[in-house]
Amino acid sequence: MRWYVQLKSKPILEAREISFSYADGTQALDKISLSIPRGKKTAFLGPNGAGKTTLFLHFNGILKPNRGKVCYDGREVRYNHTSLLNLRKNVGIVFQDPETQLFSSSVWQEISFGPVNLGLPKEKVWERVNQAMAEAGITDLRDKPTHFLSYGQKKRVAIADILAMKPKVLICDEPTAWLDVKCAAQTMELFDLINHTTGVTIIFSTHDVDLAYSWADYIFLIKNGKIIAEGIPEHIFYNQRLLAEAELDRPWLVDIYEELKRKGWVASNVPPSTKQELLEQIREKNVMVTND
Amino acid sequence: MRHIHPAEKFAFALTTMIICLALSTSITSLLVILLMAGLVIIAGRIPALFYLKLMFLPMFFLVVGVLTVAFSFSPKDTYPFLWGFKLGGYALGVTAAGLATARELFLKSLGAVSCLYFLSLTTPMVEILAVLRNLKLPSLFIELMTLIYRFIFILLETTEKIFISQSSRWGYATVKTSYFSLGQLGANLLTKSYYHSQMLFTTLLARCYQGNINVLEKPYPLSGKSIAMFTVAELILLALGLWFKA
Ligand SMILES: Nc1ncnc2c1ncn2[C@@H]1O[C@H](COP(=O)(O)OP(=O)(O)O)[C@@H](O)[C@H]1O
Ligand SMILES: [Mg+2]
Repeated sequence: MRWYVQLKSKPILEAREISFSYADGTQALDKISLSIPRGKKTAFLGPNGAGKTTLFLHFNGILKPNRGKVCYDGREVRYNHTSLLNLRKNVGIVFQDPETQLFSSSVWQEISFGPVNLGLPKEKVWERVNQAMAEAGITDLRDKPTHFLSYGQKKRVAIADILAMKPKVLICDEPTAWLDVKCAAQTMELFDLINHTTGVTIIFSTHDVDLAYSWADYIFLIKNGKIIAEGIPEHIFYNQRLLAEAELDRPWLVDIYEELKRKGWVASNVPPSTKQELLEQIREKNVMVTND
Repeated sequence: MRHIHPAEKFAFALTTMIICLALSTSITSLLVILLMAGLVIIAGRIPALFYLKLMFLPMFFLVVGVLTVAFSFSPKDTYPFLWGFKLGGYALGVTAAGLATARELFLKSLGAVSCLYFLSLTTPMVEILAVLRNLKLPSLFIELMTLIYRFIFILLETTEKIFISQSSRWGYATVKTSYFSLGQLGANLLTKSYYHSQMLFTTLLARCYQGNINVLEKPYPLSGKSIAMFTVAELILLALGLWFKA
């Protein structure tokens, strides 16, 4: 069963009426206000060009809103050198294209860049690098030059880059874009693990409804630079009117579940969040029927 | 050769190159070429054929350069030409001295190239950069090298991708379209590289970049054994070189 998010605890990141236009006049964000629940996995779901990446760049101070403000841990973000460094230490972004993130010629050295910048002593940096490589499952790639890696491997190195900085918030822009099914699942499982074991807040963007439905605790629908809805996945995806407005398909799990429920072929009244849960509900019903 | 301290390999490559250039005799150069080839192929386990191919790469430039040295010309007919011909009022041809200089130059260059090959085939770029950093070269210079090294690969990859996408749409079917496609490729490469460097800057900023690219370096123990071996090799080379020169 899915964990129901309480928004009572103090949000870790907040945006208050932020608007942003790029130099060429494109308005990418339009008066966005939102609160990111602490210690949860939050998804931003929206089509290409909705403003997801732009919003994320505001979360760690790369971009400064034209109007409005961003708050981290209850405090307004200031755009001076030390405050920004502090913010970026706590809020790490894994960019969509790992190609643009990797610059060093060996994997372990690449990963050491962040922790060295944090001013940690050498032994600590080694410890962090080794731990990040283990978590991301790339220890065997440690001495490889980054330009000889496959796309999926580059993506994992990019994630390890940020893990090594031990941020409180891990933002991942389109974590599964261009990954094969297995790699994508592994990546999401990695986020789950990090979230469970260390309580790191995870934020990711996607245009994949199935991904958001299965992996997020809380969802924001974003379109044309505006947040058009927010809520737990069950509320978002069982609301037909909302989905139509956002031009989103329903996750296949929801479709199948509703159909099965109508036919009386599932036991539970709790919508399943994964394929496994759905299968279990069907099997349970089977057992009940044969027992009758 | 991967476990040997990069500074040792760096010093070895450099001194060998200096010996090769300073003694400047064909025999020494030949010795250097053979020594480096042996080290790279046997100790470095680089396939011999691959190494041979690599050695052929600079050959083109060398041959062109050396040919101009081998030929001499004079306004009169008095030059002791081994072989020559007349062109207008001038005589053009190959002299024994010219040929010797050309041979020396050719072998010397090839010797120096093998020293560089030795270094780059046994030491990853990261470690060469670390050595340069320890030599207290300006950090700006080293960071530029780091980024340029990375960008060379990005540029190659981007070129390949654009080229494939163009040629799969008949971009190089005729001479005319080829010119057009090539122009497009060049222009796009520039904008893409610019975009890429902008993005890289953003991602560095996101990881607390403060104007210096600081990364860890791998600790390598200095080994007395390999230092001794390298020194002995240098001494033998120097002695042989001097003996042949005398
Ligand atoms: N560097 C830029 N310069 C100008 N416009 C941009 C730039 N980056 C993004 N945009 C525009 O801003 C809008 C939001 O883009 P983005 O945040 O990248 O969306 P998403 O990540 O959701 O696909 C789009 O209309 C896009 O064209
Ligand atoms: Mg994006």
